Amino acid sequence: MASADKPINTDVPEKDVFTLHFLQSLSNLRRQNTFNSPEKTNDRVKKIKKAAYVSMARAAGGTNRLWSRALLRRAAKENSKVVRFPRRKKRVTCLRRRRSNRRDPVEEEEAERLRNLVPGGGGMETSKLMEETAHYIKCLSMQVKVMQCLVDGLAPK
Amino acid sequence: MLEGLVSPENLSLSSMDMSVLERLKWLRQQQQKQVVSQSSDNSPELLQILQFHESNNDELLQSTFSHFQMLGSGFGPNPNMGFGPSREAMDGCISRTSSLQMDPVDTMGVMLKNSEENRTISSKNKRKSEVKRREEEKTEKKIKVAAETESNMKGKSSMSNNTEASSDTSKETSKGASEIQKLDYIHVRSRRGQATDRHSLAERARREKISKKMKYLQDIVPGCKKVTGQAGMLDEIINYVQSLQTQVEFLSMKLAVLNSELELAVEDLYLHAYFTNLPVVNASKPSIMVDVPLFPLDQQGSLDLSVINLSQTTSIEAPSASWETQSRSLFNTSSLGFHY
Repeated sequence: MASADKPINTDVPEKDVFTLHFLQSLSNLRRQNTFNSPEKTNDRVKKIKKAAYVSMARAAGGTNRLWSRALLRRAAKENSKVVRFPRRKKRVTCLRRRRSNRRDPVEEEEAERLRNLVPGGGGMETSKLMEETAHYIKCLSMQVKVMQCLVDGLAPK
Repeated sequence: MLEGLVSPENLSLSSMDMSVLERLKWLRQQQQKQVVSQSSDNSPELLQILQFHESNNDELLQSTFSHFQMLGSGFGPNPNMGFGPSREAMDGCISRTSSLQMDPVDTMGVMLKNSEENRTISSKNKRKSEVKRREEEKTEKKIKVAAETESNMKGKSSMSNNTEASSDTSKETSKGASEIQKLDYIHVRSRRGQATDRHSLAERARREKISKKMKYLQDIVPGCKKVTGQAGMLDEIINYVQSLQTQVEFLSMKLAVLNSELELAVEDLYLHAYFTNLPVVNASKPSIMVDVPLFPLDQQGSLDLSVINLSQTTSIEAPSASWETQSRSLFNTSSLGFHY
């Protein structure tokens, strides 16, 4: 019961890392032949969006974060690629604690909405969910800044 | 009542013709007597005081201090004694009272401990019958408080009953009820009307954790400070996350529209980055390299420039000027055979 609280670590890497990853992903999208056709803009949009999320997940910490791991796994599933992540023993205990710890129905209604938003939120305890949300928000805002800069740079003058 | 502590012997002795030394000796004897038998003298007063100020321990201490200070000061204008002897008697009284002061504090401390013990014991053994509890407390006190007379014990047991009664009610009503679990655990204070069993404590600890993290989130999400309450804050946070996600989607749409320019710009940007940062090739975070390659982005290994750390944060804005010369640079890059 008496557990020392570790300081919440939500350090997010610099803008450069995000931009690097995003640009890499974009350049690889270029490689695809079907990408540059003037029609099918919607597909392109979807692909770009996916690329943005995946690059963000990688830039933010790869498999070290729960949400990024879930994101990457989701993306890989859509491509039907087998993804292997390093197994961690923590996960099992987390799931076991899940049943006993997640009570308090008043909070859970809103936590449910958060869980739907944040990737990988379904398997997390509420306190862990908060940490992940904080980090996710930071990374999202960083990614938005990067994309905004790109768009501004590319805008026809 | 208080003056009764000044026994008539003191007055009579002071009026006698005694030498100073003898008087000092007598005073010392008195003090020693006081140390031995002070309990019997003090207990009625103490008990009365304690019973009078039942609820608050701090008040008890202060009241005892004030009482005994009164004792010391009350003998100044004593008309019965002469000037010289009165002063010595006063000194004797004051020293007596000072010694009295010291010891009652100790007994007070012990009593305080006992009352606290009462409460902890009563909170621990909630389910045991009251009779049993009283017996336990009595025995506890016998062990704790040593060298006391029988009358004292009776007085204390009656006091214990009072404190026990007060502690029972204090458990429900007063704010200061403390609970001590086993030694290794955190000492937790239960608040008004809150249970003290294990489950609710765990619940409370969990809730506190969550509220701490909510506070942290509050700092991150802009505009969250005005809203109070967890529900409102959570709504704000959810709205913010949703807005960020829609922003990403919107920007990706824009990028898709600017497709052709994007192609050139990307390559140009890479070129620019390459040339400006080549001497500054640092290893980026190792976690990036550990990532599993998937999607069309499986070029991590083959990219020689993958370890470039763009040290310039303005690398995005800077090349915007060079993008106007895209057509020229396009030829350059294609001729260079710039591969990723």
